[in-house]
Amino acid sequence: MSLLAQFQFNCTIYILLPILLMENISTIKKIIWLRLAQVIVNQRYKNGDFKVPVHLAMGHETIAVAIDAIMATHDSLFLTHRNIHYNLVKMGTLREELDEYYLRNDGLANGHLGSMNLSNADKNINYTSSILGNNLPVGCGYALGNRVRNNHGVVFIVTGDGAIEEGAFYESLLFLKSNNLPCVIVVENNEWSLATRISERRANINLMKLAESLDVEYMLLSGNDPFDYQDKMNKNKQKALENSSPVIVEVQLTTLGYWYLKNDEHPDGKFINYHGGPAPEVEEQEYPLLASSNDDPLFVLNKYLSKDELFQISNELSFQLKEELS
Amino acid sequence: MKYVQYVNSLLKDHIKDNSDVVLFGQNIDAGSCLSGLTRGLSSVNEGMTLNTPNSENSLVGVGFGLMLNNVSSVFFMKQMDFLLLGIDQIVNTYNIIRQSTPQASFTIFPVTVDSGYEGPQSSLNNFDDFCSIAGVEGYSFTNKIDTQKIISSQLIKPGFRILSTGQRFLQKETLELDCLAEGDDCHYFQYKKGDDVTIVCFNLSLSYGLELHKIMQERGVCASLFSVNTHIEVIYPHIMDDIKKTNKLIIIDDTKSRNRVSDRFLAEVYSQNSLQKNVNITRPVTEQSFYPCDDLLDIDFNKVVEDIVT
Repeated sequence: MSLLAQFQFNCTIYILLPILLMENISTIKKIIWLRLAQVIVNQRYKNGDFKVPVHLAMGHETIAVAIDAIMATHDSLFLTHRNIHYNLVKMGTLREELDEYYLRNDGLANGHLGSMNLSNADKNINYTSSILGNNLPVGCGYALGNRVRNNHGVVFIVTGDGAIEEGAFYESLLFLKSNNLPCVIVVENNEWSLATRISERRANINLMKLAESLDVEYMLLSGNDPFDYQDKMNKNKQKALENSSPVIVEVQLTTLGYWYLKNDEHPDGKFINYHGGPAPEVEEQEYPLLASSNDDPLFVLNKYLSKDELFQISNELSFQLKEELS
Repeated sequence: MKYVQYVNSLLKDHIKDNSDVVLFGQNIDAGSCLSGLTRGLSSVNEGMTLNTPNSENSLVGVGFGLMLNNVSSVFFMKQMDFLLLGIDQIVNTYNIIRQSTPQASFTIFPVTVDSGYEGPQSSLNNFDDFCSIAGVEGYSFTNKIDTQKIISSQLIKPGFRILSTGQRFLQKETLELDCLAEGDDCHYFQYKKGDDVTIVCFNLSLSYGLELHKIMQERGVCASLFSVNTHIEVIYPHIMDDIKKTNKLIIIDDTKSRNRVSDRFLAEVYSQNSLQKNVNITRPVTEQSFYPCDDLLDIDFNKVVEDIVT
């Protein structure tokens, strides 16, 4: 690129971006920041800094940012053991969460909750459970409480493809529908429960048909497009409110951080799914892309900004994070 | 008045005075209304009354979710064994909830099925276990005075607890007793005062204590009679003073639990006293215990009196 072309390119970025993308640029920044923050957590985890088990959510950033964007004052969020992406995006800072993982008094929950139960009522994260399916009934009760208190908020309950195997999932859906409670159930489907794929552990669950059997709206999200997710999640929220009904949103995603174990037994490498703990092969880098496909929310951002622009944003955010933690 | 009618009238009186309480459970406002226990509650409740699906695990979670949203509720349950399905919520969710200081109340009100004829299932009389597993406050009650005191003070107050009475009492006439003293927070009640022996009843066993007291009285033995209503606390200063005075202790406990609060109480007694005599009447568990059979304790009262006075 010639100097003139470079100059024109920069002008385009700095003149047009504010006009075309200012509304969206913060979404893109949040996704990159979430990844950078998690990579820092991972690095410290690899160094043996934490006694508490942490389940990173690299690859889950898009849905977390979309939910954060559409939640209003009276909405509330109920999470699972894999909650880092929601807690971080709601806080917008890393230090408090890190301090919680260190079980320090100045942690997000004064060191009383650690990672797998981390909630933050000040940011409308009202309950987080490390028990599969456990947060669904509690979210139902909260939604019923909204009815009693004449609070028109929507309850967002995040769960996974493992938890939908629990009876609590069906019971909760039935309770919400029976009592006409507005709620969005977000099923983060990463295909895995610990070390087994869905096909290795159970028959297929057709969530769409299950939802249909209870006259509940269902939507599938895939592809990690941040603006598509935000738009669709907003519509689902409005449906839940207008129909006073639960809505199920199944989000197809990949939990990144997997690696291939090579040894005598597996000379070609054995796929090791990332479930929790440190991701051994994830390293800090200028732009923390982990997969060159739509499985990685950071790769999808290439649709909206050039590599240079993404690197520039990543560098700025890295600098901010380092400043915050220094 | 039948005991179930009496409990129902107390519930109505108390709920009427507490607006915005959510009452929920299966059939609580339909059919027999849990054999009359919850009949008419919706007519006095200014808050919501919900007949729910049969989803005990989720319903316990619903109570905690309401609590997080500062809404008080009571979950009525026909049988305590149903509550086994809610153990995850009682333990895991409560362990989070208890970290804050909830302003709302959540009470689970199951009936302890203590007749025994239900067979290997549905005859769970193990209140101690539910309370022990997560350190949950729990109160059982059997008569007019303890029921009135416990329902009025515990049914709706900040925090979580379980209240229960025995199914075998519900269709009988309400037992009326004079209360001589009561422990803090309704942990125990004293019904008789004597200098020779201390009788302490646990779980739902007060009726056995009354029978024993009567036989002792006929034989010229004066016994103090207490009933412990809590299932978690074991420090009862007034009872301990009585035991120090009599030096003879009879414990009666009809629970099927192997985690008896009466055992912890006895350990506490021995840490403070050297008893002259001690008789423990608890439930032996044999193969027969899991067949449909009478669940009543088989007590040879005359032998107990012989053992304690000689």
